[in-house]
Amino acid sequence: MTMNIRVAHLYGDLMNTYGDIGNILTLRFYAKQIGVEVTDQIVSLEDDFKADDFDFAVFGGGQDFEQMVVAKDLPNKKDEIIKFIEQNKPLIAVCGGYQMLGKYYVDASGRKLPGISAMNHYTEQQHEHRFIGNIEIQNEATGQKYHGFENHQGITFLGDDEHALGKVLKGYGNNGEDHTEGAVHKNTIGTYFHGPIMARNGNFSKQMMFEALENKYPDYDFTDLKAKVKPESY
Amino acid sequence: MTLRSELATLAGRSSYWFLHNFMGGGSSLPGKITTAIDPDVLQEIGKNYEVIIVSGTNGKTLTTALVVQVLKEKYDNIVTNKTGSNMVQGITSTFLEAKRPTKGKKGIAVLEVDEANVKPIVEKIKPKMFILTNIFRDQLDRYGEIYTTYQKILDGIKLAPDAVVLANGDEPIFHSKELPNPQVYYGFSNEPATGDMKAAPNTDGILCPVCQHLLHYHYIVYANLGDYFCPNCGFQRPDLRFKVTDVSERTPKDSKFAIDDNQYEIGVGGTYNIYNALAAYAVGREVGIQPDQIRHAFENNQRLFGRQEEINVEGKDVSIILVKNPVGTNQVIDLLATEPDSFSFVGLLNAEYADGIDTSWIWDGEFERLPDMDIKQFETGGKRYKDITFRLKVAGVPDDKHTIQPDLGQVIEDIKHMPTQKVYILATYTAMMEMRARLMKQGYIKGGK
Repeated sequence: MTMNIRVAHLYGDLMNTYGDIGNILTLRFYAKQIGVEVTDQIVSLEDDFKADDFDFAVFGGGQDFEQMVVAKDLPNKKDEIIKFIEQNKPLIAVCGGYQMLGKYYVDASGRKLPGISAMNHYTEQQHEHRFIGNIEIQNEATGQKYHGFENHQGITFLGDDEHALGKVLKGYGNNGEDHTEGAVHKNTIGTYFHGPIMARNGNFSKQMMFEALENKYPDYDFTDLKAKVKPESY
Repeated sequence: MTLRSELATLAGRSSYWFLHNFMGGGSSLPGKITTAIDPDVLQEIGKNYEVIIVSGTNGKTLTTALVVQVLKEKYDNIVTNKTGSNMVQGITSTFLEAKRPTKGKKGIAVLEVDEANVKPIVEKIKPKMFILTNIFRDQLDRYGEIYTTYQKILDGIKLAPDAVVLANGDEPIFHSKELPNPQVYYGFSNEPATGDMKAAPNTDGILCPVCQHLLHYHYIVYANLGDYFCPNCGFQRPDLRFKVTDVSERTPKDSKFAIDDNQYEIGVGGTYNIYNALAAYAVGREVGIQPDQIRHAFENNQRLFGRQEEINVEGKDVSIILVKNPVGTNQVIDLLATEPDSFSFVGLLNAEYADGIDTSWIWDGEFERLPDMDIKQFETGGKRYKDITFRLKVAGVPDDKHTIQPDLGQVIEDIKHMPTQKVYILATYTAMMEMRARLMKQGYIKGGK
């Protein structure tokens, strides 16, 4: 049986400011090692999004102007995105994508824009200051450390039923105050780690890939394939 | 000149003289000394010049050099900041080290100006013309988004509403705001305007500034540059006064093309360099320089291409090319695709402040095209060698053709033993500077810049 993962690159032509596509390229790199095919498709302003058409999604970060335009279109896709998330399909939302999955966010010019409330965090704005630099976090469940780069002005606070992707060891994270970074809900990860979080963190990529596969092929035993994937990190 | 300015100028000139003669340097320190004594010195000196400002994210240095070359066909003693010191102090230094213009006669200055420094410069000097190359995503950790970068330039342009804005008409952002200035556009018109396509994913600046729908294109030159139009509201590329009408040959070392149906040739590859030549042509034509004079100017351009020079290292033809953002990288990859011979590829990645401290942008480069080229060996190095190594792995570069070498000194040794005559090095800014310094020390590059 040839297995495949169908990736939706949500607004990939507008929300891809920080190498977010690296996540898809990395997924394909690891998938190829175990004979799994990865196809990807941009789902943008004038397109319909159907949860059933995809097994994995990437929602990247954008510039303020693009993010505002995407925020206006997002209600058209809201129900299907929530359906996708509730079906336990993995979704990686970076920066702007992360903010827009929450309840609301305030952009750099002070406008408060609604999110789609797929997750319960919300994002405020800090004045005249950005969180820029290398970041390192530790996932408390697995003990794994993730490396990345953050560059954001928004400060995000987690909702009651969300837990962080990791505890900040170095850098700022969600808001620079509570030492949390990112948010997890089902198999959806929101994070400020720039674009290629998967590229730089092989263990994380491996986990996301197998979540997609186990979700799509529930009767298949992935033990052997898991042993074959050697994750790389830098 | 006020006495204070006289003093400031004198101090600046003598520090330049001292540094130039005894220290072998002097690109921005005289400016620092002078501006510390009198911050208005630029205003005093600038009054004696007709000033052209070149700005944008990519292509400033070469465009500036080509404009100077073209203007030399008609004018003597053109002042320019050819060392690339493109902020206020560097530009002040540029004027200080220049010969004073003849009394009663204005000199000409062609200045490459950093995007964020356009406003502070124009506060002191009123230019006659702005040349705008493009606005691509570049070092987001420093300047932020393309819209904020463009706004920084606009804030300067607004202070000189009489100056002509000579802009790349293929760049949608340059047609997005109302300006009081006279505007002239240049661009590519070498294909029939009949297609209907969208830019590749991964391209910035593709939303209609009027109605925010996705822009379509009759054809795309590269990235988001081309003959764009909005199918929703009718917004479209402005009329071009100066046009590339044909591109007949492209190699890494040569481009043959026609502007307004006149044939030109420049001794450098890359479509982006044709844009740079087009901008210089446009300036020349605006001031009445004839097409054959411009052709003559382009023929003298060989030594201008400092960022893409060829170096002989023990018989190997080594080219070092600066890369710093996705669009630039993709253009260089496009240039490599025009190389007829087999070659070796070296990718050097640093992430110092001058490089941009975020390496995420490498994921937006089309490195996937490399495995299809006739590349015999790949080597990756620099302080962030792990990032660029994994990027090439993911792009499909086979392990058995790929060596990893963090130490740039050792990279030079390895180059001597590469299996091809030609070696292309793509390097970020500080990696390029370190390679140049090492090659100079070993005698493979002669003299300074």
